[in-house]
Amino acid sequence: MNIEDAAQATQTYYCLDCGVCTGSCPVSRVLPSFSPRIMVEKALLGLGDELLKDRDLWSCLTCSRCFERCPSSIDFPEFMRLLREEAIKLGTQPAYSHHGMLQTIMELQTQGINQRKTDWAREAGKVAEKGDTFFFVGCMPYFQVIFRYLGVDSLSVSQNIIKILNGAGIEPVVSDDEHCCGHDMLWNGQVETFEKLASHNLEVIRASGAKRVVFNCPEGFYTFKRHYTEHFGDLGFEIIHFYDLVAQMFEEGSISVENGVGPITYHDPCRLGRMAKVYDGPRDILTRLAGDNFVEMERNRENAVCCGTSGWANCSTGSKQIQVERLKEAQATGAKTLVTACQKCQIHLTCALSNFEMDLELKDLTSLLAEAIT
Amino acid sequence: MTRELLDLMGIDKERLVLEWVSSAEGGRFAEVVTSFTQKIKDLGKNPLGVAA
Repeated sequence: MNIEDAAQATQTYYCLDCGVCTGSCPVSRVLPSFSPRIMVEKALLGLGDELLKDRDLWSCLTCSRCFERCPSSIDFPEFMRLLREEAIKLGTQPAYSHHGMLQTIMELQTQGINQRKTDWAREAGKVAEKGDTFFFVGCMPYFQVIFRYLGVDSLSVSQNIIKILNGAGIEPVVSDDEHCCGHDMLWNGQVETFEKLASHNLEVIRASGAKRVVFNCPEGFYTFKRHYTEHFGDLGFEIIHFYDLVAQMFEEGSISVENGVGPITYHDPCRLGRMAKVYDGPRDILTRLAGDNFVEMERNRENAVCCGTSGWANCSTGSKQIQVERLKEAQATGAKTLVTACQKCQIHLTCALSNFEMDLELKDLTSLLAEAIT
Repeated sequence: MTRELLDLMGIDKERLVLEWVSSAEGGRFAEVVTSFTQKIKDLGKNPLGVAA
């Protein structure tokens, strides 16, 4: 797809030059040279080649705050993604964070490795090899090792999900053969790697006989929901976010919780909120857990701010500034606990929090729920 | 940590070695490299089927 096609696909021709995108952009706030509006203008003026070589192409967090507010509905994140695909063909790539370790793991997964990464699941409860419900765990086993130094316990979230599912009489399928969903590679412009990972995952899930796939990771959920269907058509199974399943369980009465947590506030992950439009599910759980002790941050729901980096690339001082601002915003609500629903948000905000003293704890929503189940 | 990651990926962690050799220890460097090369040869082709 050339720049012309990318512009067509994301409707950049409808740009009114109003600048709402740049005014909404968390990156532009901390890095004034970055401007979505100018990038769109450049593409329209036929200067797209400049964009492909520009480092700023990789500075966009693809958080979708601009798209949410754009009066012409220009999908700027998708425009960036399509341009990145072109830039990769020209040999440019983002500055990978964590020494490119995560991208290396994703690449290795396309080379036919035999992973051994589900021991934790059997420790947590009952899991099956075949069945109706497939639990797509995502990168948690890898995060558990890579981010242990931050004190982030990503796998405990997956373990809690198995416990909660077991409690409701569901024995989910977990698989050693499951690969990364490909989200990061897709947003890094590496569409070929994405397609390899994705087609493998579809094979694994279909072979398990699953009728529905449960996700906790917002990125996995959104990537299956949007990009898997765009690339592969009908998936042949239902995809459901864990919080929607929890809502069903509450309705059926198969779980009940104790109300007594607080004061807490909630950070909307961009993939779950603005992109997948899951705002109420998490809030319903939070209200059940904390009642009036659940308070909103000033910028919430569609106005929420990104956790500062995306796709394991381009973590900069700007990212840190965005994260610290977000933490201060959480503290200003009077909450003692900032709840997140995405392990990446948890990792990034924990990293920022570790740099200074702040009376704030970070907690994953699923773990908070698991602790309150009666 | 890399060993743990290799383990998750189902790659034999024996394929990774970390040794500190000072610039004054030329002989030891040769020894470490030779023995590790031999070990890799003994272990055979890696399971990935790339960069054999």
